[in-house]
Amino acid sequence: MHTLPMYPTVLIDLIGSGLMILITFLALRYAYFLSSLDSKNFIWGFLFYFCMAMAAFSISRGVGHILKQILVLSDHKQIWKSLFPYSGGFNTTLMISLFAVIIYYHKGLAAYKAIQSEASKLFTANKKLEDATGELQTMNVHLEDMVEERTRELSESEKKFRHFFENSQDMVYFCNSEGSISDINQSGLEMLGYKEWPEDLNILDIFNNESELEIYVKALHEKGFVRDFEIELQNADGDLLQVVITANAVRDETGKMIGCEGIAKDMTRLKTVMAQLSDKQKMASVGQLAAGVAHEINTPLGVILGYSQLMKDDFSEGDESYESLVVIERQTKACRKIVADLLKFSRQGISEKTYMQLNEIVQDVVDVTEHGLIIDHIKVTKKYSEEMPFIFCDAEKLRQVFINLINNAHHAMEGGGEIIISTRICSEGQEVEAVIEDTGKGIPDEVKAKIFEPFFTTKSVGKGTGLGLSVSYGIIQDHEGSITVQSPVVISGTTVHSGTAFTVRLPVASEQPAAESLESMLKFH
Amino acid sequence: MLGLSGVSQAFQAHGAPEGLYVHQMSHVLFVCGLAYLYWHTRRTAALVSKGWQYLRSYCVLLILWNILAFTGHAIETILSPDDFMNSGSWSAVMLEPFTLPKIVFYIAKMDHLLCVPAAFCLLISLRTFYLEHKGEE
Repeated sequence: MHTLPMYPTVLIDLIGSGLMILITFLALRYAYFLSSLDSKNFIWGFLFYFCMAMAAFSISRGVGHILKQILVLSDHKQIWKSLFPYSGGFNTTLMISLFAVIIYYHKGLAAYKAIQSEASKLFTANKKLEDATGELQTMNVHLEDMVEERTRELSESEKKFRHFFENSQDMVYFCNSEGSISDINQSGLEMLGYKEWPEDLNILDIFNNESELEIYVKALHEKGFVRDFEIELQNADGDLLQVVITANAVRDETGKMIGCEGIAKDMTRLKTVMAQLSDKQKMASVGQLAAGVAHEINTPLGVILGYSQLMKDDFSEGDESYESLVVIERQTKACRKIVADLLKFSRQGISEKTYMQLNEIVQDVVDVTEHGLIIDHIKVTKKYSEEMPFIFCDAEKLRQVFINLINNAHHAMEGGGEIIISTRICSEGQEVEAVIEDTGKGIPDEVKAKIFEPFFTTKSVGKGTGLGLSVSYGIIQDHEGSITVQSPVVISGTTVHSGTAFTVRLPVASEQPAAESLESMLKFH
Repeated sequence: MLGLSGVSQAFQAHGAPEGLYVHQMSHVLFVCGLAYLYWHTRRTAALVSKGWQYLRSYCVLLILWNILAFTGHAIETILSPDDFMNSGSWSAVMLEPFTLPKIVFYIAKMDHLLCVPAAFCLLISLRTFYLEHKGEE
């Protein structure tokens, strides 16, 4: 007879029941830890209750099964018979409880999801708000940085342009539509002859030429700008300034001109220098021409003079032919003097230079000419600077220069006047200067530009050859100096008198001789 | 009616099979609950943790256990004490013929082979949740 032993089922039942209790309690332990970690989490709460019901079910069932096996195997079936309905009842109740917990999960999860959804929305809203706040804060911070950066840039830009405005050597100005200057830099004020800001300064008032003003105003209104426009301005001292002006019209939103801004560069000095340079070039070319002519004429003049002197021996004094030859000789000599002067102007003559003091040379000339001046009621005022350095010069030629200048001054003051002769050290000790100033009628501007040209004279025919100043010019150039003229005489922007002042500047000798060696040199000379 | 409480209709009488029926119903309810838990955790996209996979394994194994237990309880009612010998001792055996109900009953008596792994899956599931959550903390 075949049978199937039941003890394996008993063993599995006993061991399985024990394991069930152990495992479900371990699971309950983890569920407890989980819900402790996050007590607000519904899922962990559900799992904790589920595990608790599961553990209770395991105990109920396991203990029941173990008790059953023990009681049955120990022949206490009656006891088990009275207990098993309770065990079954507990098991049934706990299984229903497990179902109830799952139903709780179903309902609770729905509620939890609703809450979570709301919480999530709230969280999202908060997050958005937080992000927006953060963004706003970032923008705010960034805005502050931007404002700070912009302010710094503006400050630097303002500083840069202020520096340019204040330190520009040119006149920078801003004016309103009426031409009244609203702002101008210090260079501009100085250029216009003001030390301080005047009460009313109008750009239109300082134009010297009406035609230039019209062109300037018309260009600003029609084109909106003027570029490199050469104009003549008159400053507060009455001096004329050669200025190159560049200006832009300033317009409002409607395009109406509300003012202008511009930069003006003073070209007066440059123009003067350019004119002087031009004069020098002209004088140099005239000098070369004169030298060539003098050389060519000098030889035939010598022949004429020689033959006329020889022929004089063939005639007796008082004879008509003899007298004619005397005239020829005299005129030929006059011509030779002119030729000699031309050679001096062109610096072709022989020069003997020594160490001299300018005061000494000037005084020599004054000694010779003073008597004639006094006769013509001309007062001579001498203002010599003491301790003048030596110059290396041809004293004779320089005397000729000063004689020319004093004679010219003499002729300019036929009714009397004053000659002021002054000397001084200038150019930081590099040059010495002598000024021959007269209170005569002065020299017109158109004449002033030509006075150093050979044969230019305002004197009547026969009274002057027009070589005096050009020879003087040549001599001074030969000494690497300069000769300039000023008429009327202006000192520090103020016209002193309408006369003329010639200024001769000569370089100081590079080596100053000792007094004893100079004495010996002079003795030798 | 107050004097004749024995014939009163106010109380329903509970006969012997009622306890078994209730127990079997509880198995059905438990299965329903587990099936719902399985279905819901599977369809919820947010529940991606591996712990939920273990929990679903637990549901499957415990559903199988419930079915087995339900079957075992049902078969127990049709088996008689004559089908066994030496009942209540270590030498108890099942007698021939080994019909399908007897074999199913024998297997059902070893239902711990399903419920213990199911409980183990629950343990692993919770342990996984705990470790993951602790890691996040």
